[in-house]
Amino acid sequence: MHINPTTKMSDLVQSDFELLAVLQRLKIPFGFKEKSIKTVCQEQNIDLNFFLNLARWYHERDFFPGETLMNHPVKWLVKYLRSTHSCYIDYHIPRIEEDIVRMESLDQSGGHNMQLMLKFFREYIAEFTTHIQLGEEKIFPYILNLEENLYKEKPDAEFLKTARGYTIKDFLEEHSDIEEKLLDLRNILLKYLAPPSDNCLFTNVLIEIFRLGNDLNDHTILEESVLIPQVIKLEEAFHNKFTLQ
Amino acid sequence: MAKVLIAETSYLVRKGLVSLLEQTEGVAELKAAGHPDTIVQTIKEYNPDILLLNSAIQLPISHNELTSILHSKARIIYIINTPLPEDSPSHQISVFDTKNKLTEKISYHLKQYETTEEKEEAEDLTPREKLILKHVALGFTNKEIATKLFISTHTVISHRKNITRKLDIKTVSGLTVYSLINGIIKMEDIQ
Repeated sequence: MHINPTTKMSDLVQSDFELLAVLQRLKIPFGFKEKSIKTVCQEQNIDLNFFLNLARWYHERDFFPGETLMNHPVKWLVKYLRSTHSCYIDYHIPRIEEDIVRMESLDQSGGHNMQLMLKFFREYIAEFTTHIQLGEEKIFPYILNLEENLYKEKPDAEFLKTARGYTIKDFLEEHSDIEEKLLDLRNILLKYLAPPSDNCLFTNVLIEIFRLGNDLNDHTILEESVLIPQVIKLEEAFHNKFTLQ
Repeated sequence: MAKVLIAETSYLVRKGLVSLLEQTEGVAELKAAGHPDTIVQTIKEYNPDILLLNSAIQLPISHNELTSILHSKARIIYIINTPLPEDSPSHQISVFDTKNKLTEKISYHLKQYETTEEKEEAEDLTPREKLILKHVALGFTNKEIATKLFISTHTVISHRKNITRKLDIKTVSGLTVYSLINGIIKMEDIQ
């Protein structure tokens, strides 16, 4: 289906329930009644085009609206990425962890395989949390500050100092690959582990890991192909305006 | 069977190739990308065997970098936006080509891939690779392994690449888990 402003929000979700994730991350409450996308966005103070670009990308999967998404204020994307982060940390990851714990308790093979998977996954959680913390505590505040200061007459002295010594490109170096380990976990579970006692649970864990993997992939695309290029542009504008005179 | 990636900005051409390749034998997996940045990203993650790339696309990386991120047996078929002569090489297809012509050229490459691929699929880890894996799982660095086994670091790295390709496991902790599950190392070894 083609998504346009007059499409009913409830029709949109019915045609592709995966879009619920986008709604949730934009903090759009349910109870749409017969309202259109346009009306819901207006009520929730969300830019219509920003919503349409994201929703079309997730739904059609055919083009990536990198350039178009870059034309919106960066703080919207940051807000979106932040809710995505909390979704991972508060919900998806703990759920997978719980499931692996359950698999371990049901494992009657006498081996340590499930215990190993659990240990492996907990290592992953630690890595993942560090990655998210870096974003939340250092990178996102920097980006928000950058955008805010760019439109001021005179930037805050404090921020000017930060901007002189830091660029988002530094972040790229610290930005570790958070998908590799998850892929490994998936492949080990899929290819090398003996069949477990509870198949339904096992299958479900795999589905959850596939989902999370795909979602992280989208998340990385948003970070690397929209957020970072956009911040690099903001940095250039900032330095042209304030530091290169 | 080959993994194919279509890198084409034109929506019509991309969709056309997708539908053609969906009916072609020898395609194990198919992906399509339209934006230069997503193309590079997809190549890295998807690691295709055959890349159909429109020659007019300006990728953010150089041709050398492109060949270095593709694996050594990967092939590139260029999509050309102009008509081609009758005797054009098989690694060039034109948007004006007939269905038969396209199928003929693409199938030729898919077949080449099939023969080399099938041999590899049956491959297990060699005893040598198992030995290297054991050391990796025990936490030794490439350099330490090289010294211990009297081989060069370069050899260790190339063994490791093969191990990762065969097992589909990239990280050291993933390899450790695999080794434990398969009895290549024991729990006591790493404690």
